[in-house]
Amino acid sequence: MRNAAPFRAPKVSLRGGTPPARSTWRGGWLAAGIGLLLFFPLSSPDAFFLDVFTTGFLLAAFAASWDVVGGVSGQTTLGHALPFGTAAYACALLTSFAGWPLPLAVGAAVLLAAAVGAGIGTLSAPLAGPFVALLTLALGEIAHEVAVGHTFFSGPGGYAWGGEGGIPVALPWRDASPFSSYYAALGFLCLASFGMLRFLRSEAGLILRAVAGSPITAQASGVPIARFKRLAFAVGSAFAGAAGAGFALHVGRATATDLSLELSFQAATFAAVGGRGTIVGPVVAALVLHLLFQGLSLPPSVRVLLYALTLLLVLRFFPGGVVGTARDLASRLGGKEGGRSRRIRGRYRNGEGAP
Amino acid sequence: MASPLLQVLLDGLLAGGTYALMAAGMALILGVVKVINLSHGAFFTLGAYVAYALAARGVESPIAAAPLAAVIAFAFGVFLGKSFVNPVRSHPFALTVGTLAFALLFEQAAQMVWGPHPLSIDAGAPWIGPGGLVVRRWGVIAFFSSAALLGGLKWLLSARPGLSLRLIAEDEEIAGSLGMDVETIRYLTFGGACAMAAAAGALLSPSGAVTPTMGRAPLLLSLVVVIVAGMDSVAAIFLLSIGLGILGNACAWFLSPQWSYVALLAAVCLLLSARPAGIVALAGRRD
Repeated sequence: MRNAAPFRAPKVSLRGGTPPARSTWRGGWLAAGIGLLLFFPLSSPDAFFLDVFTTGFLLAAFAASWDVVGGVSGQTTLGHALPFGTAAYACALLTSFAGWPLPLAVGAAVLLAAAVGAGIGTLSAPLAGPFVALLTLALGEIAHEVAVGHTFFSGPGGYAWGGEGGIPVALPWRDASPFSSYYAALGFLCLASFGMLRFLRSEAGLILRAVAGSPITAQASGVPIARFKRLAFAVGSAFAGAAGAGFALHVGRATATDLSLELSFQAATFAAVGGRGTIVGPVVAALVLHLLFQGLSLPPSVRVLLYALTLLLVLRFFPGGVVGTARDLASRLGGKEGGRSRRIRGRYRNGEGAP
Repeated sequence: MASPLLQVLLDGLLAGGTYALMAAGMALILGVVKVINLSHGAFFTLGAYVAYALAARGVESPIAAAPLAAVIAFAFGVFLGKSFVNPVRSHPFALTVGTLAFALLFEQAAQMVWGPHPLSIDAGAPWIGPGGLVVRRWGVIAFFSSAALLGGLKWLLSARPGLSLRLIAEDEEIAGSLGMDVETIRYLTFGGACAMAAAAGALLSPSGAVTPTMGRAPLLLSLVVVIVAGMDSVAAIFLLSIGLGILGNACAWFLSPQWSYVALLAAVCLLLSARPAGIVALAGRRD
């Protein structure tokens, strides 16, 4: 295989199957949503709601980054909090402990998260199906345990850093206004989602969908699947790391919950509810669910409980994914074009079960 | 005070023998239902909380708690198996994430009812053996009840009613064509295996702290056991569980309790890296 010609993907337009009218219709809704979110702070809401939205934007970007790995590429990861928390901790340690300037620390944190992702991808590439989930879950839990149990540094003034209390981030500003945090987080979410969508519409994204659909077919057509799985993990983790660094800046602290299984699980929930493999779906689901549950100011344990319940119901009634079921329904109602998409969908689903 | 090594060996042996009950349940689900049940640890926790609730009402006996916990877990397990696992069985994503969702659901519910802090059950005074060796009474009782139950399982599998289980594990299409009600046997097995996990949780509850997330370490231990020992031999599962119990106890004693969990996690990572095919029965599945 070494001296074979370098792999070239055929130039295929992904937009071929979609009629242009529908995509502008969808774009219109997106623009309306973004317009509403831009307008919202001007209606002089409570600072609490601004904070809920800010966290929601970061979580939505995190959910979208899960979708790059778990949805589009079909690598069900249950340890996506690992790159998120790694970047948060790196941000905190580099600014507070090493005294790096903030932009440099954030850049390094994102790179570190991408490297961690590439590592996870390398380890999980030979595994199939549920074992990817097991491995990522175990790796995430190891990181969480180390972060919880280890007060690894003692900071200035004799305070013990690490453990349950986490590590503070040295911020160059005193008190960020809720408005600037809101707009910064919204801007980050839009940029990150745009970046992820662009990545998935590139050649690499097309190949990743092929790998998710049927690894064997992809391999037979000359795709080095291990390398592309690693790429998916690295890109998804870089975006997760960016969200994690943003979260650490927003909260002002990196804590062990940034590495928790509950956080990884939340990302999977958002993606499953919003429709795996669509990027926009998980973002919308994350915003709606987070605003709903957090806006009602429920205690954290009730929130996780409701997330789990929502997820179980969605998985029970749409086990093949929300998008696939919706598409099947549309094709049953629609005409010829829909029939074709159902056939492709059916083939895709068969590929899912194969090792 | 006996030598710590001997104490660690004894405690690990007693705990490991009881973990074997849970691991055997995991293997049963893998073989018959062909599912990795990530909610298995939640049923272990359920058993421990049932034992705690009984102890708080004055019934301080895991022997009484184990059957009650098993019955409750059987009911929950049948519900989960019949209304979730069976319908989504052909969708690996839904199964993996769904069983994890059930586990988290249970952890949060337990936290809401009993609180996040560790609870403990009074196990009564231990026996002091030769050389100052501390022998925990409930540890011994748990070990022998677990061994007896596993013996019963082994006999059941080799007897007439176990034949259908083995046939379904081998080839479910043939089992169906012979007139066996495969779906029913699947969810009953799922419930029964969950009951085994809950019984193990109730039996082991006096030996440690009862917390909402206490089931995670036994879940990983069971995973390691089924990856290494496979699903065919009850004896292999028993011996390997004892080995892992001793190893975990040694980690907890010589390092700190949380390191035994990390050691199990690391073992899962290493095993999966060394054996990418994972669990053979699942890798060979075509559907």
